[in-house]
Amino acid sequence: MIGIELLTGILLVCIVVAFALGAPVGLALGGIAMGIGYLTWGDALFNVIPTTLESTHFSFILLAIPLYIYMGQLLTRSGIGDAMFNASQMIIGRVRGSLAISVIVVCSMIGAMVGIIGAGIMTSGSIALRPMLERGYDKRLALGVIMAGGGLGILIPPSIPMIMFASSTQNSVGRMFIGALIPALITIILLITYVVISCKLNPKRAPLDPVPEVLPTVKEKFLTARDGLLSLLLIVAVLGSIIMGIATPTESGAIGVVGAIVLAILFKRFKPRMVQKAGMQAALLVSVAMWIIVGASVFSNFHLLMGVQNMVAGFTQDLGLPPIVIIMLFQLIMLLLGFIIDEFIIVLICAPIFTPIAVALGYDPIWFGILMILNIEIAVQTPPYGFALFYLKGIAPPGVTMLDIYKSILPFVLLKLLVLITVMMIPELVTWLPNQLMD
Amino acid sequence: AEYNWRFANLYSRGTAFGEVYENFAKNIETMSNGRIKVQTLYAGEGVGSSGIFGSVKTGLITMGATFQSLNAGELPAGIVEIGLPGGTSDVAELSTLFHEKGWGPILERAYAEQGLVWLDPYIQPAVYVLTKEPINSIEDFKGLKIRAPGAYGKFLRNLGASPVSLSWSEIYTSLSTGVIDGSIGSNMIDHRDGNHVEVAKYMYPLPLAGAQVLPIIVNKSAWNKLPDDLKAIVKAATTAHAQEQMNKSKLWEAEAVADMQSKGLQWSPAASDADKLAWKNAGASLYDEYAAADKFSKELIDILRKEQM
Amino acid sequence: MIMTAIRRYCLGVHTLVAFIGNSVSYLMPLLALVVAFEVFSRYILNQPTVWAYDTSLFIFSYIAALGGAYAQQQRAHINVDILYNKVSDRLKGVFNLFSFALAILFVVIMCKVSIGKFEEALEFNYRRQSEWAPQMHHYWLMIAVASVLLILQLSSDWINSLHQAITGKPLLPELLKDAQEDDQ
Ligand code: NA
Ligand code: NA
Repeated sequence: MIGIELLTGILLVCIVVAFALGAPVGLALGGIAMGIGYLTWGDALFNVIPTTLESTHFSFILLAIPLYIYMGQLLTRSGIGDAMFNASQMIIGRVRGSLAISVIVVCSMIGAMVGIIGAGIMTSGSIALRPMLERGYDKRLALGVIMAGGGLGILIPPSIPMIMFASSTQNSVGRMFIGALIPALITIILLITYVVISCKLNPKRAPLDPVPEVLPTVKEKFLTARDGLLSLLLIVAVLGSIIMGIATPTESGAIGVVGAIVLAILFKRFKPRMVQKAGMQAALLVSVAMWIIVGASVFSNFHLLMGVQNMVAGFTQDLGLPPIVIIMLFQLIMLLLGFIIDEFIIVLICAPIFTPIAVALGYDPIWFGILMILNIEIAVQTPPYGFALFYLKGIAPPGVTMLDIYKSILPFVLLKLLVLITVMMIPELVTWLPNQLMD
Repeated sequence: AEYNWRFANLYSRGTAFGEVYENFAKNIETMSNGRIKVQTLYAGEGVGSSGIFGSVKTGLITMGATFQSLNAGELPAGIVEIGLPGGTSDVAELSTLFHEKGWGPILERAYAEQGLVWLDPYIQPAVYVLTKEPINSIEDFKGLKIRAPGAYGKFLRNLGASPVSLSWSEIYTSLSTGVIDGSIGSNMIDHRDGNHVEVAKYMYPLPLAGAQVLPIIVNKSAWNKLPDDLKAIVKAATTAHAQEQMNKSKLWEAEAVADMQSKGLQWSPAASDADKLAWKNAGASLYDEYAAADKFSKELIDILRKEQM
Repeated sequence: MIMTAIRRYCLGVHTLVAFIGNSVSYLMPLLALVVAFEVFSRYILNQPTVWAYDTSLFIFSYIAALGGAYAQQQRAHINVDILYNKVSDRLKGVFNLFSFALAILFVVIMCKVSIGKFEEALEFNYRRQSEWAPQMHHYWLMIAVASVLLILQLSSDWINSLHQAITGKPLLPELLKDAQEDDQ
């Protein structure tokens, strides 16, 4: 039997080679797992496919992905997405980067609706990417802002990884949700500040709309405001359906779809063809996302069955380092795992291994959990392997290459690292609010 | 080692139950003098929760500890085995049922048909339902939306409640916003770990199942490769594991209840005799339905009926 | 003669996969409708359905799996195109030969095991674990079909790439154009 360290090394080399050759990510990961698996384990490993298929295709949580993608497509094709951004620009005013700021705000609101990353990126991406690129926004700014905003899906409650963390370490979900609020707010403010400053310093990144020859009439302004208000109602309806207990976060996507169709009818933009075209594009995106998830899960399930989690567990025993260094080391391990494993699995492996150690060192488990969520947000958008990267590539127009996406993330990853480090240094940012509200 | 086994269970690494399974694995290694090496896989480590059954069947993993409710669609008799709502919680009675009254051999056949070896089952604590509002009489269940899968859902429907299907990770949010009015948990420990008491405070005192009987399953061809002495060792370790489950789960159940009580858990008022009877009847009508659906279930239920005559 | 047969094969695969890909798109509104109906039925009628949960997951899985071949045809599957975009067309063809072979390996195994699961589901009458307990066999059959479609598409693309690796041009350039067409 081959050692897990050597196996991990071989798998990494295979990934790098296959990715470099431009192989389809999901199918290649599945192929690598099958090939290496056959050589190290034998054909019994092939049976990992059916169990993985069942657990991904029948995951109700992932159902948010198709519903939100479809909603996004309907909004784009009916012009309601434009209405949203026109109105928000009217509110924010003629500020450079106002569209990018609207994206962050919209992503925060979607983040308050769903508990996973994919839905935010794919919804706001399909609505906002094209308008930004058409208005001459810098490609990297446009891409980076969508990915950074989409990541808020797991930081703003509700959040599936937080629920998983809380249950596997027996902590309060409520405390985690509340504890995440201040770090989320800091992240949103930092993202907006970055957009404003970087557009000031480099005006070419976000051209202002040309001043119209004739100023908009009162009637035009009224129409923009009305359309914006109506589209805001959609967000209120979806968010409201969750808060009032009408629908679960997953189901809320379907409310959004119905709402988008109703709005399209109100805007007199409804065409049966639009529903079909949106369905066509959404189905393609869903399939692309799910084949990646299936391939990546087959890969990571093979890796887990071979015992990679024991390698992580063994590595963290008896370190004899100062406490804060151990916490930093944990963050580093999770970031590295993010190169090859998806976010849910990182929580499942690392939460039970790391949290008891952190608690034994005297740290607050909720604080540690939020650090983990912040870390995962970074892990999913760092190259070469990260679901946020793949989702964004999926919705990007043909002209956008993976290199564009890789380059776009740098400032946003640095911002998120800054949040991570700040929260690491000042635990009260997490612990203060729940203590105020819950005791 | 001569034999390398993978053993999957449903609990997370580091949880109390996870440790019991880990002990079981270590025990097999020690008792076999290292001839069998067992790698323990926890929740999410390679197979999903409902995939353990199928993965042991195909030999992807060698041995598994699963909840039969998760595999109701593959092995219907497992639902009868784990205990239909309203069944006994008397451990001695259960033991006789399996070892003397003939349940054991029936289940051995039912699992063998699917390429699985059924090892002596162990017992886990009762299933309770947690609600947002107190249940003062059984009438209060009418119209409540309660997250309850399979047999438990049917049972609650008989009481006038509406069972809802939800994924486990949405229970908390759904209780908190009021999408559902209540939820069952696999046991008290499951309720505690899910933090559900933060958003729903009332536990109904009558259990939906008084005790749950869970088997250890082993891939048949891996089992047949073992020489007789090692087979005997694995069986002995299984018996020891059942004992440890019994001792510890009682203790942990009590701890979980105490934990939840410190966070505000309250019991709904004790059930009246009429309520107890209605509760029993709601369970009894399920027997026919399950017996009609599957040949092994019928054999098991026939024996149960004969006992109750 | 052989070239004509190969051309016909590729064109045939293209048409079939495009037809299935288009058909799948009608499932999207159906999926939203089923989930929305469950919310309506539970909240307004106070009667959660027994069937919506599993039905929505089945529709989701059909969209996810069956769309795979069409996504391959449209070159929509995500890849890391950093090096790929920098090399010549011939070298791209060579890269594809490797990539598509790796993908075929995965999907062929998926096809084989899902046929096995289909037979097993029939033999033991496998169902979902829910109260409604719908049959599982059609899911596994669908996965086998989705795999076969993907294998057909990948094989056609592999032939095209072989041609490209040798001559520098794809065999059927007109088929690749679809992918770039505006979908507005
Ligand atoms: Na969220
Ligand atoms: Na990464």
